[in-house]
Amino acid sequence: MGVGIDGGFMDWVAVGLCADVPVRTVVPRRVMNTGLAIWCSTAGVFHAWGDRCPHRGMRLSHGFVRGETLSCIYHGWTYDRDGACVSIPAHPDLVPPKSICAAHYDCKVEGETIWVALQLTQAPVPDLGARRAIRSLDVALSAETVAAKLDQPLTSVITIGGLHDIALAIQPGTDTDCLLHAFAAPDQDRKAVSQALEYLRNELEAAE
Amino acid sequence: MILYDYVLSASCYKVRLMAALLGQPLTLRAVNFHPAREHKSPAMLTLNPNGTLPVLQDGDAILTESVDILRYLTADVPAWRGEDDRWLALAADLNNSLGMARLHDILQFDVDIDAARAAGVKQLRKLEAHLTDQRFDGRIFLAGDRPTIADIACFPNTALAPDGGVSLDTYPSIRLWMRAIRSLPGFIEMPGIHRLHELEVAQ
Amino acid sequence: MSQSINDYWYPVGLLSGIDASRGTLLLGVDITVGRTGGAFWVKDAAGNALPTVKRFGHLWTCPGTPSGDLFTIPEADTPGRQLVDVGSVRVKCSPLRAVENFLNIAHFPFVHTDILGAEPHTEVERYNVDIREEVNEVWATKVKFFQPQAAKSAEGGITTEYMYRVASPTCAVLYKTCPPRPGEWDVITLFVQPLNEEWCEVWPWMALYDDDSTMAEMVSFQQLIFMQDRSILENQIPTKLPLDPGMEAPTQADLTSVAYRRWLKKIGYFYGAQLVAA
Repeated sequence: MGVGIDGGFMDWVAVGLCADVPVRTVVPRRVMNTGLAIWCSTAGVFHAWGDRCPHRGMRLSHGFVRGETLSCIYHGWTYDRDGACVSIPAHPDLVPPKSICAAHYDCKVEGETIWVALQLTQAPVPDLGARRAIRSLDVALSAETVAAKLDQPLTSVITIGGLHDIALAIQPGTDTDCLLHAFAAPDQDRKAVSQALEYLRNELEAAE
Repeated sequence: MILYDYVLSASCYKVRLMAALLGQPLTLRAVNFHPAREHKSPAMLTLNPNGTLPVLQDGDAILTESVDILRYLTADVPAWRGEDDRWLALAADLNNSLGMARLHDILQFDVDIDAARAAGVKQLRKLEAHLTDQRFDGRIFLAGDRPTIADIACFPNTALAPDGGVSLDTYPSIRLWMRAIRSLPGFIEMPGIHRLHELEVAQ
Repeated sequence: MSQSINDYWYPVGLLSGIDASRGTLLLGVDITVGRTGGAFWVKDAAGNALPTVKRFGHLWTCPGTPSGDLFTIPEADTPGRQLVDVGSVRVKCSPLRAVENFLNIAHFPFVHTDILGAEPHTEVERYNVDIREEVNEVWATKVKFFQPQAAKSAEGGITTEYMYRVASPTCAVLYKTCPPRPGEWDVITLFVQPLNEEWCEVWPWMALYDDDSTMAEMVSFQQLIFMQDRSILENQIPTKLPLDPGMEAPTQADLTSVAYRRWLKKIGYFYGAQLVAA
C-alpha cells in the first residue's frame, strides 16, 4: 500500500511542479518524514532519491547535476540514473562497488507535476482534470489538519473548486508542515489564483 | 576604492558581489570583526563613527550603508538601477530578521530568535509570491527583465537563511531566482553561498 | 581503557575574549565562565569551581576528574610564529562530526573550491594512519594534496603536505606545509566544545609563520574555510556520528576518519555518536 495517513492512503504524492525543477537542478522535499532529493537531468529526466549520500550522509539535495548524473556536494561522489555510484573523485581509477547506491523511488511526470511513490504501486497517478499548474505553497500545518479544515478526507488531490476551480495536490511533510501544489482552470489569470491561494493559506493558518 | 570588509558579513558581501558583477576592482581591507571587534576600534571609529561595516573609501568619499554603496557603485550604470525602493526596504527587513537570526546562531548575538525567524518566514513568503508573479510574466529578477541592485541587496540574507535556522527548501521561485543570480557572469561566492558546480565540467 | 567523557579537558573560552562572566553549556550541562581581576574561572551549575588550564590562547576546563594534563603542541611555543585566535562559531552538529570533517581532505575541491583544492586535482594518494597507543592519539602522516591557495602566505598553487593528529576526542591538530619556511609546519587546530550531542562551539586556533598578512587577514582566511564546512556539517544525516560500519561507506581516502571512529569506540567515547546503524 502507499503512504499511510490517518483515514486514507496516498499511492502517489505530488512533490513539485515541473516548472520548479528545471533541467540540471535538484530540490529537497520531505514526504511523511522521508527526505527526498528530486532532480532533473540535462536530458529532462526526473528522479526521486533518498536525500542522503551513502558516503558520509550528506544531503544529496545540496548536490549538483552534470549530464545524467547527480553528484554530492561534499566529496563529489557521482551517481547515475539508477542511483549507482559511478565516480569517486578521490580515487579516479576506482570502479565503485555496486553496493554503493543512492536510495531511489518511482517517479512519474504527469499534468506538469512530479509524482513520487514511496512504495511500489500499480495505482494510476491522480487526475487533475483539465487544470493547469499554478504554484506550490508551504503551509505551517500538517496535511491532516489542512484536510480537516477544508472539510475533506486527506487524499493525494483535494478539490476546492470555486471561481478558479482550484485543486490542491497535497504533499504531507512532517507533523507541523506540508506543501500544497495548486492547479486551476486554464482560463484563469495565474496571478489572481496565486493571490486567492495566499488568502486561503492565511485562513488555514489563522488561529482558531 | 577600498572596502573595509568582514568576510562573513552579508552586508559586506553585497558590496563585494556588486563590484565583482560590474568588473570593478576593489581593494579589500580585512577587519577583525570577530573575535576582536576591530570595527569598534579607535581607528575604525575615526573612519566610521557608527562602528559598522561595510565602509567604502573612494578618494575623499566615505560611505557606510550597503544600500548607499550599491547606489554609488552603479551611479554610471543605469541598467542596474530600477524601481528599487520597495525592494531595498525589503532588503533592510531581511537584514533585521534573517540576518540577525544568522548572527545569533553563529556568533551568539543577543536576538529574540523566535521573533526574528518568524519575521523572516513572513518576508520570504512575500518574496516568493512576488517572484512567482514575475515568473508568470516570463521574468526571473525582482524588478524588470534584468538584475538590478534590488536583487543584489536582497540576495545575501535570503541565501544565508539556513545559517539562522530558516529553511529555503519550500520556496521554488526564490530558489530559481538565487540560481539565476549565482549564474551571472562574474558571480563570486561567500561561505554559505556556494558557486554552481554544475557550471564546471569535470575532468 | 575507558574513561568518563567528563574526565577530558574541553575548551570553553578565548582568554582575550572573557570579561565578566558568561553562561554556556558543556556536555549538556550549564556552566559559567568568567574572569575576576586577573584570574579566570569556571563554575558548574551549583557554583562549584571546576579545574581550569590556560593554553593555546584558550581557557580549558574539566567537568570531572582530569585524567592527565592537557596535550601539548611544541610548535606552538617556538618563537617567530603568529598565534591566531580565530574566534568561536556555533554549529548545529555533533562535536564528533565537526572533528571528523577537519580530518578529511577529499572534500577540498568541492567545499573549498579554488582555495584548498580544485577539480581535476581530486585524487587522494595513499597516506599512513595509526592509533598511537602510548599517547592515546590518532595520527595521519604523509598526506599530500595539490592546493591552488594553501594559506594566506602562499603565492600560487602548491602540493601541500599534511599531518593530522587527534589529541583528544573533540580536539584535532593539523600540521601543514609552511610556504614561507619550507621544512617547518604551520599548525592549525580545531578545539571543539560539546554544548550537547547535536550542537557544538568550535574554537579554531593557529600558530603560523607569516610576517606579511595582518591578523585580520589570517583570522578571515580561517573563518572563511570553517564557515564553508558549516553548511555541510549542518546537513549530514544522521546527526550523530555512526560508529558502527554498515551505515556509511568509506574508501581509502577516509582512513583517518575510519581510525578516528574505531578509536572512539575503543576508548568508549560515545557523546555525539550512535552505535546502532539507523
